[in-house]
Amino acid sequence: MTMAPIRVLIVENHPVLRGVVRLACEASPSLEVVGEEEDGAAAIETCLSLEPDVLVLDLNLPGIDGLEVVRRLRSAGSEAKILVLTDRTDEQAVFESIRAGVDGYLEKTTGVRVIADALSRVAAGERLFTKEQQRVALDGLGRLARQARESSSLRLSITPRELEILEYASYGLTMKQIASRLGLSPRTVETHLARLYKKLGVRNRVEAVSRASALGLIDLT
Amino acid sequence: MANRPGAERTAVNRAPRQRRLGVVVIDPLPVVRAGLSLLIDDRPDMEVLAEAGTVEEGLDVIRGIRRSRVVALIGLGLEGNLKGERDAFWLIRTVRERFPAVAILGCGAKADSAAISRSLFMGADGYVDKNVEPIEFLQALRRAADGEMVLAGPPAEWVGVIADGLEHQRDLETTLTAREREILVVAAQGLTAREIGEQLGVRERTVTTHLGRIYTKLGVGGRVAAIRAAANVGLVTVGPAR
Repeated sequence: MTMAPIRVLIVENHPVLRGVVRLACEASPSLEVVGEEEDGAAAIETCLSLEPDVLVLDLNLPGIDGLEVVRRLRSAGSEAKILVLTDRTDEQAVFESIRAGVDGYLEKTTGVRVIADALSRVAAGERLFTKEQQRVALDGLGRLARQARESSSLRLSITPRELEILEYASYGLTMKQIASRLGLSPRTVETHLARLYKKLGVRNRVEAVSRASALGLIDLT
Repeated sequence: MANRPGAERTAVNRAPRQRRLGVVVIDPLPVVRAGLSLLIDDRPDMEVLAEAGTVEEGLDVIRGIRRSRVVALIGLGLEGNLKGERDAFWLIRTVRERFPAVAILGCGAKADSAAISRSLFMGADGYVDKNVEPIEFLQALRRAADGEMVLAGPPAEWVGVIADGLEHQRDLETTLTAREREILVVAAQGLTAREIGEQLGVRERTVTTHLGRIYTKLGVGGRVAAIRAAANVGLVTVGPAR
């Protein structure tokens, strides 16, 4: 009795590499290539319609990039296993891939040789990450926690009055105009702003507004 | 609470190269504390410095510790004495702020991803589940002491939900306006809407409107839940001022 082959969809915009992955799959009787795509949008569409067992996914794709492909497939409820095959070795790529919910991460330099074996293992439910990649994912989580905490404590340290003044400042009002709107002396407004700059670690109004907006303290839209 | 100064001496003999790792076990359940202490004290490279059963007691013992390589193991089921508002997350945040050199590991039994996100957001260096194998548990302590981020027990797929949870916690507070935040901070002192209004110089009616909007934004039904949600994400501080 032969088992049904594992259905593979290859998403890779480099033609040579795509060919190499296909050859590797064809050499293995348990793998069947059901499709090939070279950009993100097509990858999502084909994956949702063909419902392959495994998707071999490059991260650098024209248009919608690989990470976005993962996110959209996951939120669309696709149950295809996703094996990343990429030349990106940076921690951000590894962390974001694991965060987005991929099932394995191979670097192109070493990954091509083991691709057939990796595909079978991922299809069987194994998660293929090296110790180092798992480490990177945890570090990324730690970094995210630290950033979230810092931005929240910074927000907590800013008084409603400082925020009010900053909001006026973001509309381009002068020190004098802000002072008269709030019934304060220009001197007091200046003091508030100076204190706020220090908290935000900025030197001028433009920087303050952009930093505050990045932290979600004020809404510029 | 049990301080064991005598353990210091044996450390030199048994682990000459690296300082023994000291663990503070803080958990509401005596059996859990006893079990973990037995497990830890059985290893040559680590020792239990103290045990505590409440957040207050936990903070007290940590305050009294003068040494390096310390891991505080904080049971997430901890509830404080003040109407449960000073809970494990409060303790995590307080220890992180006051004793930055102490490594903090949240510890729970089948905790959900939200509790883990919250622990990390508050300042924990990781989470270890009580259901992991002893050897994995001990390894988690060592890694935390070495400054690594640890996640022992939760399935690997949880990295995504935990990360989303962290961002959710951060975003939650940026959804409130300065005025709403101010009102919530005053409300956390236990004042009535009228008293809040008097303190901030606005009408009682205005306060009620603001509170209603806050509840909607936080997705909660009432004031206690709002304060709790806000305290959990670090928006307000509940409990005595430092």
